[in-house]
Amino acid sequence: MIGIEDCLSEAMSIPGALGAILVDHTSGMAVAGKGIPDPGRAAAGLSEAYRATLHGIALASEETGFRIEDVIVTTGTAYHLVRPMEMMFDGPLLLCVRLDVERSNLALARRRLRTITDELVAS
Amino acid sequence: MAAPTLDAVLTGLAQDEATGSLRVGKEGTVYYDHGRVSYVECAATPGVEGLLGASGRISANGVRHARQEAGPGGDGGALLVDKGVLSRGELEFCVLSATLDAAFFLLTPKTVRTRFKDGEAHWLGIHWFFDVPGLLRECARRRARLERAWPSSELDARPVTPLRRIPGSHALLSRLQWELLLAADSTATPVELARRLGRPAYSTLLAVRELAAAGLVVTAETAALPKRTPKPPPPPKPPPPPKRPTGPGRSTSELPQVNADATDVNLLLRLRDALEAL
Repeated sequence: MIGIEDCLSEAMSIPGALGAILVDHTSGMAVAGKGIPDPGRAAAGLSEAYRATLHGIALASEETGFRIEDVIVTTGTAYHLVRPMEMMFDGPLLLCVRLDVERSNLALARRRLRTITDELVAS
Repeated sequence: MAAPTLDAVLTGLAQDEATGSLRVGKEGTVYYDHGRVSYVECAATPGVEGLLGASGRISANGVRHARQEAGPGGDGGALLVDKGVLSRGELEFCVLSATLDAAFFLLTPKTVRTRFKDGEAHWLGIHWFFDVPGLLRECARRRARLERAWPSSELDARPVTPLRRIPGSHALLSRLQWELLLAADSTATPVELARRLGRPAYSTLLAVRELAAAGLVVTAETAALPKRTPKPPPPPKPPPPPKRPTGPGRSTSELPQVNADATDVNLLLRLRDALEAL
């Protein structure tokens, strides 16, 4: 079982990780971050990006009651992985990791991220 | 001498690296540990106990037992984790959410009677820290966030009344918005609904403002127009059959291009109904 700070340390130990941040999606607040220059702005931006993705996919898909496993954005230099965690009363809480595109393995990173989020909410 | 403002009291205790509880008027309490805030309670918002109870993880009775078992100065949070009620990550998030929610309503700029009890701790123990400037900054950020969602406080303290018919053909709702619309009975305010649902009051306030921005709840603007009598919409008219063959050089479409915004159309419909009702 891990806490919020350990969850960030674990995320930063994913090969190629450049930064990690936990975002409260409802309020758009940065809960905690590592290797993120401006956590406040990052949290607001990632929260909006997740909201737009959720709405866009809801409109574009016939699937009802779907849930997003993760969102992957690839830029020229980095992968951005966003993984939502449903909390018991609010949320989701977003675990967002930025990875060096040259030094990381996307499939491995996704698996690790899933393990970390499962550990955070597992009692 | 004028009483110090709440901000000054909070900052002073942080500078003194105080440990204990600060009672703020009758509305709530701020818990300090070595100058940092570890928990905030407010009468208007659900605390960790309320959030846990509403999530169905533990009964109110179970919370009472855990509280007694932890005893004064104990770590009730760790006890709940050991009992398997919630994980450590969930406990931390729960404390963090409840604290920020309470702070948003309690720590508004004001002058209020305060009383500091040295050494008094919250029964949950210490699971997350906030420094005072950071906490006040976050409260200000949240206020700005509300304004961005819907720049009016008219709905914050008024009963939530969903519109009987939505504008447009569909609406996207978050989980909380769905629960709110189901629970809204035109008498409960957002903060009352939050307590009833066991959701943070700030999240509820924000969700209601977003519902207002999406035009799904009654606002002063929509209430000003007379209510439409609910009647089934008229069946859509079939397009007229093309009478003339389209010659070369003619536009393929005989129908004018529709470029009106759906909200404009709705406003026109409401105006028409209002005029008919005169």
